[in-house]
Amino acid sequence: MGSHYEAPIRTPLVTGNKSYHDVSVDVARPVEGRANKHWWIVFSISLAAFLWGVGCIIYTISTGIGTWGLNKTVGWSWDITNFVWWVGIGHAGTLISAVLLLFRQKWRMGINRSAEAMTIFAVVQAGLFPLIHMGRPWLGYWVLPIPNQFGSLWVNFNSPLLWDVFAISTYLSVSLVFWWTGLLPDFAMLRDRAVKPFQKKIYSLVSFGWSGRAKDWQRFEEVSLVLAGLATPLVLSVHTIVSFDFATSIIPGWHTTIFPPYFVAGAVFSGFAMVNTLLIIMRKVCNFEDYITMQHIELMNLVIMITGSIVGVAYITELFMAWYSGVEYEQYAFLNRATGPYAWAYWSMMTCNVFSPQFMWIKKLRRSIIFSFIISIVVNIGMWFERFVIIVTSLHRDYLPSSWTMFSPTFVDIGIFIGTIGFFFVLFLLYARTFPVIAQAEIKSILKSSGDKYKKTSESHE
Amino acid sequence: MIKSIPYIVQPEQVRPGVADYYATTIANGFDFASVLVKTREGRPIKIEPNKLASSNGGTTARVQASVLSLYDNMRLKQPVANNEFVYWSDFDKAITGKLAELNTSGKEVVLLTQTFASPSTTRLISEFKAKYSNVRHVVYDAISESAALDAFQEKYGERGLAGYNLEEADLIVSVGADFLGDWQGGGYEGAYAKGRVPKNGKMSRHVQFESNMSLSGANADLRVPLTPSEQKVALAKLYGYVTGSSVGGKLPKAVEAAVKKIAAELKKAGSRAVVLTGIQDKGAQAVGLAINEVLASKAFNTATPVKLRQGSDAAMNQLVADVKSGKVGAVIMSGVNPVYTLANGEAFGEALKKIELTVSFTEREDETSGYVKYLGAAPHYLESWGDVEFKKGHYSLIQPTIKPLFDTRSFQDSLLKWMDSSESYYTYIKSTWSTGFLGGSSWNKALHDGVLVAPVVAVEAQEGDAITADEVSVGAAVANLAKATAKGMELSLYVKTGMGDGQMANNPWLQEFPDPLTRATWDNYLTMSQVDADRLGLSLAQSTFFTEARHDANGGLNGTYANVTVNGVTLKVPVMIQPGQAVGSVGMAFGYGRKAGLKTEMQTGVSAYKLYANADTTQDIQIEAAEGIHEFACLQLHNTLMGRGDIVKDTTLEVFNTKDAKVWNPKPMVSKDHEMIPVDSPDADLWTAFDRSIGHHFNLSIDLNSCTGCGACVVACHAENNVPVVGKSEVRRSRDMHWLRIDRYYSSQDSFIDDVEKKDNIAGLGSSLSEFAELENPAANPQVVFQPVMCQHCNHASCETVCPVAATSHGRQGQNQMAYNRCVATRYCANNCAYKVRRFNWFLYNDNDEFDFNMNDDLGKMVLNPDVVVRSRGVMEKCSMCIQMTQKTILDAKREGRAIKDGEFQTACSNACETGAMKFGDINDHDSEVFKMKNDNRAYHLLEHIGTEPNVVYQTKVRNSNDA
Repeated sequence: MGSHYEAPIRTPLVTGNKSYHDVSVDVARPVEGRANKHWWIVFSISLAAFLWGVGCIIYTISTGIGTWGLNKTVGWSWDITNFVWWVGIGHAGTLISAVLLLFRQKWRMGINRSAEAMTIFAVVQAGLFPLIHMGRPWLGYWVLPIPNQFGSLWVNFNSPLLWDVFAISTYLSVSLVFWWTGLLPDFAMLRDRAVKPFQKKIYSLVSFGWSGRAKDWQRFEEVSLVLAGLATPLVLSVHTIVSFDFATSIIPGWHTTIFPPYFVAGAVFSGFAMVNTLLIIMRKVCNFEDYITMQHIELMNLVIMITGSIVGVAYITELFMAWYSGVEYEQYAFLNRATGPYAWAYWSMMTCNVFSPQFMWIKKLRRSIIFSFIISIVVNIGMWFERFVIIVTSLHRDYLPSSWTMFSPTFVDIGIFIGTIGFFFVLFLLYARTFPVIAQAEIKSILKSSGDKYKKTSESHE
Repeated sequence: MIKSIPYIVQPEQVRPGVADYYATTIANGFDFASVLVKTREGRPIKIEPNKLASSNGGTTARVQASVLSLYDNMRLKQPVANNEFVYWSDFDKAITGKLAELNTSGKEVVLLTQTFASPSTTRLISEFKAKYSNVRHVVYDAISESAALDAFQEKYGERGLAGYNLEEADLIVSVGADFLGDWQGGGYEGAYAKGRVPKNGKMSRHVQFESNMSLSGANADLRVPLTPSEQKVALAKLYGYVTGSSVGGKLPKAVEAAVKKIAAELKKAGSRAVVLTGIQDKGAQAVGLAINEVLASKAFNTATPVKLRQGSDAAMNQLVADVKSGKVGAVIMSGVNPVYTLANGEAFGEALKKIELTVSFTEREDETSGYVKYLGAAPHYLESWGDVEFKKGHYSLIQPTIKPLFDTRSFQDSLLKWMDSSESYYTYIKSTWSTGFLGGSSWNKALHDGVLVAPVVAVEAQEGDAITADEVSVGAAVANLAKATAKGMELSLYVKTGMGDGQMANNPWLQEFPDPLTRATWDNYLTMSQVDADRLGLSLAQSTFFTEARHDANGGLNGTYANVTVNGVTLKVPVMIQPGQAVGSVGMAFGYGRKAGLKTEMQTGVSAYKLYANADTTQDIQIEAAEGIHEFACLQLHNTLMGRGDIVKDTTLEVFNTKDAKVWNPKPMVSKDHEMIPVDSPDADLWTAFDRSIGHHFNLSIDLNSCTGCGACVVACHAENNVPVVGKSEVRRSRDMHWLRIDRYYSSQDSFIDDVEKKDNIAGLGSSLSEFAELENPAANPQVVFQPVMCQHCNHASCETVCPVAATSHGRQGQNQMAYNRCVATRYCANNCAYKVRRFNWFLYNDNDEFDFNMNDDLGKMVLNPDVVVRSRGVMEKCSMCIQMTQKTILDAKREGRAIKDGEFQTACSNACETGAMKFGDINDHDSEVFKMKNDNRAYHLLEHIGTEPNVVYQTKVRNSNDA
């Protein structure tokens, strides 16, 4: 099989004796078939959560940020926690599709489409928060450097929030283009299979006239490579810049140079966990066990274990630096984090993020579907707490003890967060019913090297 | 512009956009001050101190807030007869008819009034008495100083109070006198503060014996917590030691030693010492006067007695008895609310109902209104004429600053009407003055200045009933005091800085004004020591997860309830743990628990007057735990400084005098290329320095030595800058909008210096955990410090760099400016502010029924300062360094083509500060006071090590804690 040769001892990435046609049929099945009861149930719940969130957002915008639990000392809490959490989740998609592409990791092909979809949907959720957390969101466009008639008013390029605007919007657009490029041959496959004229029309529109000629494929490969090259630094930059919101500030607990790598590692960590959460369900519901194999899950678990350990080192480094700095405000910030009124949040974070991934050292556990699923949820809870801990415990007791207070969320805070989870799943469930959720064109390219059918054939030929 | 109507004919004197100032006087029976009123387009909008006044020229928080009471929609808008609005003519007809009837029947007519301290009113009442022969005048103070008045009268033959010039005292010993609060009418902080700033190595020493933690106790160098009965013994013993006589009585050993030592200090200081006492007992007051006589105290003045309280308990008791027995034919009240302020008010009210003629002149319906037949709608002082004699020979005029908003008429004008006089009270005052003490000086000048000091004037003796007090010798009084013992817990009633006697309870600024000590708003409560709270089961756990704890999840402070019983009257009162409260005593503030004539939001707290039996502020009390958890609304939830010595720099006079400033006021250093350089050195600067030597560069200096924490600046800031009131539940959520706050810290050890030492000695994790936790709790009798904090206007402002839309940026004159219109409110600036001074408009605070305070009311909105924009929902706001005031000064000087003199630049807070703790000005003017203060060796910046380079500078607090 020329350059595509793969050693027979390597675990096959596609199982179940799949032929090219089988792949097409399998990938097209959820799109062409009808939704089952489970889909409708989950979709209804998600939609309800989403609508509840929309209600809470409308309430916030019409009444004021006072509907949230914030106060004069704690000016950000669930809003920015959710923002950073969703951005972090959004990291895995690009990492899988771009970085793993550059590193020629073929196991990405089973999961990259959904991971990227997850990225885009997560970034949509994330992008919501910087907008709605504003006191006057209808003026949100003022953060864009657009020519205006307000005199010489211009944005403040010193502000990390402005950097965020650029980082997030760049990331969203590059991810979207990258994702859509990959989708073109797969949409074309659906178009070619479609029998209903409406479907055919839509899929031919979204596949941008893909014809499957060699030139198409050549350009496809080139664009993919270029976009992967573009997207790779973004993987690092987005969360680095998000971390600048905190790192460039003067608040003890925020003002930390370790934040950029720490945030990136944390983002990858949470992103992979979310990919695991979604795909473990999806492979079951859509019968994709042959494409998203135990091998995939195990590899993801390894990434979770490694990034979780990096995050753990970062947490300990923070504590060390606070002590080593000799700055009393730093020291107190971290002492308070670990032992103060929000110690429960800190130790939830530590347990979820540092201790729980260590179970993945045990092969049996990291190859257990149910265990992987549980850990993926635990990690995402932990990562939410990480952002909450950073934001709230640093703010609630900063420099002047006279201003120290506590934060407690209102139903609106909670409602908006639940709403974004609902929105995310609404998008993802719609995606799962209308999009080719596995990059079938790419799978087909490795079928002869990594598919078990062909591995067995080549074995028998030897 | 909403509902604004232009002038058709422009009045000559009113120039739109230009403020006019009038001197007048507040004299509501509790607050007396000579003030300047700022009016804009004919509306009074702000009260400022009258700096020409030689006495009572300062403004307290309540005086500052009094302008808002003018625009209170709950005011009585026209007279009422038998629960129906009537015209004044009908009102007069009915009353004069009754008065004539009573005159013939010979039944007594009683005028029950507040202390007016007014020469014209005194003359008027005597003329009224001449017309109606059966008139008795009873002066009644809601919070009585009768003991002191009686003692003074007995000793010096004149009804008044001794004056004290505390600037003249090197040693001030107070036994239960909150002289920085409202003790004997107040007004002592200005002179006190002058002596408290170290000059040539000297400052006064202040020792306070008290049971409640008061403003005075908080400022003392030595504070000895004593129960009310122990205070009596201590006073007796002080007298004994000073005079060398032997006095019995028991005190705890440590207290005994302290009293002995202080007595020795008193003797040593001699005429440079003064003793003040607030014990509500004639004997104790007599002893207080006697000690000062013995010391020949220079600060003690009996030649010009203070007239601000004139009520007599004996006369009032007699009246209550006479009313109950039906001897009285008419009771005409003015400025009093006895149904609320008498311990047995309702009984008095019921008795009043049976009286033939009952009239009450009042600004708004109150508790008494329900029991009287006629309500005279009284004008606010800003709508009235009047005069006041603060202390003998020191006069002040009340002049209207606006046409009466409603159909109101003063008590005095009404008396004139009822005497068939065609004269107005204005001309009446004028004639009192010109025939009396005006002497050769001009009436117009007196009216312009607002004040007049008549050299030596024999004022006719105060009319009033003879005091039938026992002739007690000081010796007997001392013996009596020494015998004082308590039966169980003792209650010590006190006056809260914000609420006073409670007559301004419908004023949202005062309701939201944080108590300087507890920092609670919208409430009163029982202050109790931790020891007693633990003993009585009234203490909540510091922090528990699922049970009721001292703090809610949102930080809000919780308290238990206690049933307190005095003389068979039981009240359910929330309990506030108060560090420094003497064990065995509890405190409770007057002025709360009002219902009548108040908006629902303002009906806060519990009335302590119910426990004010026999007009005695100390009572034996029974306390039992009661059901429920009370939700407080405190501005400050953490009480200690955690050993953070660079927030409040604090040293002793000894160290200050003997050591280099580097020792007690070290400049933070930072490392650059492994060399330590001062944090404010240009080399430590990341930025290219901006040349600030051109034009003005404003700085504000705050002297922690002279700041008493009175909070006048807080309300002044509210008034000047249209700061919204947000209500109790929002304050509880830590969403107060105060641009200027006064942080109050308690030490956790015996002193703040010990706190710092304790923190510095922490080593290792175990010690960090236990000792930081200990530092969170205040000591039983802590040191206290007040630190006013507003926007620090950092030259390297951390808020300015983080705003994505550059809504907050630096001004050419040093201000950190906030462009509300540009703000999209990411709140990043507030998060990144080390001082947490930024305030966010969480909701729409004007024209919103959810926030039904003065900004939701066309009348209430008249108080708004047209020079300052009212902020909308969703924008950040904060102290602007009163840029509207500095710009006005600059433009005036420019138009007049002159240089600006030092002192012309003011902010609302610096202008309101009676003690001179706040000094504002231009540091580019090297002759300015603020320039000197900035370069003083006590000067430091808050959290200087961060390198924000603030334009607000603090002066290290020096405590005279070493004896000698």
